[in-house]
Order: sequence, then structure tokens, then C-alpha cells
Amino acid sequence: MLLPRLHPAAFAVLVVFSCAAAPSHAQSGTHSSAEPPTFREVVDETGRSIRIPQPVRRIVSLAPSLTETLYALGLQDRLVGDTDQCDYPADAQKKTKVGGGINPSVEVIASLHPDLVLVTKSYNRPDTVHSLEELGIASYATDPHTIADIISSVKTLAHVLDLPDAGASVAEDMQHRLDDLQRRLGDLPPKRVLFVVWTQPLISTGQHTFLADALRHAGAVSIVNSSQDWPQVNLEEVAKLQPDFLVFAESHSGDASREVEKLATLPAWKIVHAVRDRRYAVISDAVNRPAPRIVSAIEELARQLHPDAFTEKSGDTKRKTEKENPPSRSLAFAPVPWNQPHLSHGHTSVTGGCLCGR
Amino acid sequence: MRPLTFRKLFFQCFILAVILFFVVIVALKFGAVPVSLYALGRDLLSVLLGRSSQISSDYGLIIQNIRFPRVILAIIVGASLSVAGTSFQALLRNPLADPYILGVSFGAGVTAVLGLIIEPHLTLPPALAALFTPLCAFLGAAATITVVYFLGRRQGQIDSNTLLLGGVITGYFLSAIIVFLMSTVNSSNTRGVVFWLMGNLSTSFQKSVFWFLAAGFFLATGVIYASANDLNILLSGEKEAMHLGVDVRRVRFVVYVAASLLTGLAVSVSGAIGYVGLIVPHIMRLIFGSDHRTLLPTAALGGAIAVVIADTLARIVVAPNELPVGAVTAVVGAPLFIYLLRRRLA
Repeated sequence: MLLPRLHPAAFAVLVVFSCAAAPSHAQSGTHSSAEPPTFREVVDETGRSIRIPQPVRRIVSLAPSLTETLYALGLQDRLVGDTDQCDYPADAQKKTKVGGGINPSVEVIASLHPDLVLVTKSYNRPDTVHSLEELGIASYATDPHTIADIISSVKTLAHVLDLPDAGASVAEDMQHRLDDLQRRLGDLPPKRVLFVVWTQPLISTGQHTFLADALRHAGAVSIVNSSQDWPQVNLEEVAKLQPDFLVFAESHSGDASREVEKLATLPAWKIVHAVRDRRYAVISDAVNRPAPRIVSAIEELARQLHPDAFTEKSGDTKRKTEKENPPSRSLAFAPVPWNQPHLSHGHTSVTGGCLCGR
Repeated sequence: MRPLTFRKLFFQCFILAVILFFVVIVALKFGAVPVSLYALGRDLLSVLLGRSSQISSDYGLIIQNIRFPRVILAIIVGASLSVAGTSFQALLRNPLADPYILGVSFGAGVTAVLGLIIEPHLTLPPALAALFTPLCAFLGAAATITVVYFLGRRQGQIDSNTLLLGGVITGYFLSAIIVFLMSTVNSSNTRGVVFWLMGNLSTSFQKSVFWFLAAGFFLATGVIYASANDLNILLSGEKEAMHLGVDVRRVRFVVYVAASLLTGLAVSVSGAIGYVGLIVPHIMRLIFGSDHRTLLPTAALGGAIAVVIADTLARIVVAPNELPVGAVTAVVGAPLFIYLLRRRLA
């Protein structure tokens, strides 16, 4: 199954959806405001209906992506606690830590007296939500599976937190940058990539993850066709399909260039042309997190995979994109060697033909 | 004891070797990438004739660089585990003993996790960096062997029960450390360890590693085989063995070290592949009897057959994805073991 690419029509649907959702919130809000303390009833992304005390002043986030989303919405002052893994932005590290996302301390969460705890289905455990429920602490769960989901999730969350304007502007920015990217990439054939989560054994990402969708937005397509989220992939399959590029996220143990050098010494990896020719891309760890920053990771990847689409434009657009990306992020991909544009391009156009048949 | 005729031993091993040969052909034929038997035969022939440079097709390279080394690895690991299991069962005089019972796999696991954590901070040359985790695992296995040996000593010599208990407790302790490391250290570094602990033969190694593994296997197995007669006598009891002139202390020490090294070699390249060292010796004993002079070589061949089959299944059942081979051996091995156990009780 192919997930739909995000285009203006889809965005319009999202807007309609969130507008439809907004009045119901407002209604229940005014209804319950008669008897204090007020509650608002909302349905979260896993279909649970929850009662959130109003106004939401104290929030605990149990996932790095949700922490990042709160910062993007400008809600950092209401964030009173987050997890050990919440390391972006740097300020998030100073918040009270409630433990790991997988095994947070419910005691610490309770001691922070949150109005709302944010969880995400793919990362946190249902047990945590149940324990919070028993303590009467409301928790709201997100469950994005595509980039479009991430954008709509940000907007819906902003609605739930009574900040629809901030949500709309963050979502609009994400959408705008993705549309811009889409225009640049145009109808360039997508590069066939292997997203490497782990090398020995080889673990990659399945088709129904937001990660695979992020690759599609960056003008790439994963050669791994699996319904599992984190499949262990047979190297023979990789050697048969010969990806144009390997893609690493920065969090992968150590430096990706050293990782590739390591693989190049091994007989089984030597025959993968992308390893032999050192064709790989390294992008920010943000690609692993369903938060607004994922768009930057998508842009980084697109720039490394399709350098032509970015160099042929005039100088001022280049400056503009540099302004959009803080220097720290630009540094992240500056030292990465990618293949000579014409060479890799020629290679892709050959294999790109096979892709259409798949 | 019945005299061992060379003909009988040769005959038994020959049958198993033929089975192993066919299993290897099947393992080479099937996989994520389809290969015709003709192409396989042609490529194998050119490899045997020393003209491997003639193989130019991608499929040939896949066989040569991925599938064939993996089958060889499966053979070495399977044979090592099975010989180690046979030895531990004789040494501890306990049919439930398996190569991992003395905690060796957890010791290897702890140092493998540590290796994964510190490797990025060292600037090793690529070839050494690729070997770093297995090397750490092997050192961990060796350290565990030493510690458990001293724990298992009583009045200067190994006591079966103390050794067994000491090994089991050390294993628990070390597995707790693995859990501790994995939940405290940044998670992405240790993600692969879970797969590694479940047993995995998909790791690719340089050619030299195979020579090292093969040399280690033949050396350790040779040492154990030299004590095969003593192990037979030991089965009838320690006192009896001593009266018959067996140096029980020396035999125990030598067999313990050699069997542990076999386990360490296997675990450092494949993680923990369970049940092979437990089941295969039992089956071989049922078929060929419990004379260690025939049991050791037949168990080696049987272990190789079992792991090659299990790994082929792991590769093709959910192709183009893979199962951890340890999951396959456990799914097949546990029910089989219960069957053997009930049969013995009946």
C-alpha cells in the first residue's frame, strides 16, 4: 500500500477535519465551565475518550517527539516534566526527569501534579497509561503513521491545549517547507535507499512507518518492503536490489562514515555497490521522531540525495534555505561525502527504471 | 566396553557427512534470492577448481560472499555447540546440561554490550572495528569460564554440583547486568544486542575469522576427543573412574576448558543459539549409543546439520526478512526435548 503524498488537497481535508473538531471542544468546554473544576472531553488518536482538566497548566511529556512538539508550539513553560531521552532542544534536558519513556516513574509523574500527560502509542507502554488512569491523571495519546499524520497530530494537540493558532502556524510552516521541497524535487526519479537502523544484524524500517513516509518526501524510496515496523532484512535481498544509497540517522552507534568503512571490510557487505562506492547519507536523529523537526531531517536527506535539485537554483534561494536551517544542523551534513552528482545520477536513472516496475 | 572398530566409526560419520552435504546444498540453493541448481553447481565447481574469479554474476557473488560463508559459520557453530553440550553432559553427569548452563553466553553478552558502547569512542582501523564486538564477547566468555571454574572448585578440584550451581547463578547475575546496561545506557547503541542475544548467523566476517574459528574448533575438539575414553569411564562414577586409574582432576579441567572455549567461540560469533547443544547429543546417543569415541564426532556432524537446517529456515520462512536463528532452534528444540524426556520416563 502506498501512503498518499501530502499535497494541497490533503491539507485542505486536514483543515476541515480540525475545524470540525474545534467546535466540539469549544462546546464541551463552555458546557462544563458552569461547574468548577472544569473538564473538557476529547477523543485522542487511539480512540480513547478522556477528560482533561481546564485550563491545562502543567504538562508532562513521555516522548522526545512530544517534548519537541511542545517547544515548537511555544508551550515550554507549561512543560513540567519529561523523559531521559528528551534531549532536544537543549532546554528540555533541564526539565524534571520522570525516567525513561519505556519505564517512567509514575510516582515522579504524580508528584509533579500534571493536568495532562502526553504519550505516543508507538513509544510508550499501555501499562503506563493504565497506571496514570488509576491515579486519575489524564493522558492524551498521539499515534502518527505518516508525515501528514504528524502535521495533523500537531494541530489537533494544539487544539486540545487551547492554542489553535500556534498549531496552525507550526503545521503551515511544515507543510510549506514540504511543498517547497516537492517543487524542487519535481518529478526526479526517487533514489532507492536502504535505511539502516542497525548493521549486524541488518535492521531497517518497514513500509507503514512515518520513517518510510519521510523517505518518500525526501525523494527516496526504501528498498525494504516489509509490513513489520523494524524488520531484520536479509543481506542477499540488499545485494540483489542494490540500493543507490544507504541512509543513516546520526544516533546510530558512532560515526556513520566509520560504520561504512567497517562494513566495506566484510565480504557480505563489499558486494553492495553503495558500500563499495561509499554512497551514503547521514541525517539528523530527528528523522526518528514524529515531531515538527522531522521536516528538517527530510530536507537534509533530499539535499544529499538530490544535490542537483538544490544547486541549479539561483543564489538567493540557497541563502534562504540556509537561514531556515540553523548552522548546527547544516554542519551535520556538511562533512558527508556524497558521490559525484553526475555519476550517482546516471546510476539512478538505470535502476530507476526497475523501480517503476516494482 | 565394546571395542571400537574404525569401520563402524567411519560408517556412522560417513552417513552423517553425506546428510550434511545435502543439507548444505539445500541451504545454498534456497534463500531470499533464487538460484538454479545448475548455476549453483557451476559456481561451486569453479570455486573448487580455484577459479572463483570466474564467478562474475551478482548471484554468484551473493552465494560466494553471503550464503556460503554463512553456511560455513552455521556448521562451525553447530558442531561447536553440540560437542560442548556432549562434553558438559558427561562432565557434570547431568543430561540436562547445555553449553550455556554455566553462564558463558551471558558473560559474552555483557562484554558485547560494553563493546558496543565503547567502540564508537575508540578510533580503531575499520577491519579491527568490525571484529571488536565478537572479540569482546570472546573475552567475556573466557572471563566467565575462569570465574565459574574457581566458583566450582571444592578442596582444590571441580565439584559437579558446585560448578553447576555456581554457573547458573553467575548466569543470572550477568543477565541482570545486561538488563541494567541496556536500560541505563542510551538505547540506540544497544538495540542490536537484543537480536544478537537471540542468536544470529547473519553477521559477516573476514575470511581470517573462519580460519581462526575452524582452528579453535579442531583444537578443542581434539583435546576433548583425546579424553573420550576417560569420559566413558567417568560416566560410571568418579570413585570408580579413579580406581580404574583415570586422573579425574586432569580430565575435568581439560574437558571443562576445551568445552567452554568451544562455547565461547560459538557465542562470540552467533550470540546464544539455544537447544542445539542439549538436543543433538541426546538424539545421537539414542541412535549411536553413548560411547564418547563415536558420540563426539557424530554429535559434531549432527550439530552442524541441525544449525544449517535451522538457519536455512530462519532465512526463508519470512523472506526477504529473517528470523533470529535462536528462535527457530527454540521452537523446534523445546517440544523435541520434552518428547525425549517423556520417552525416557516411560
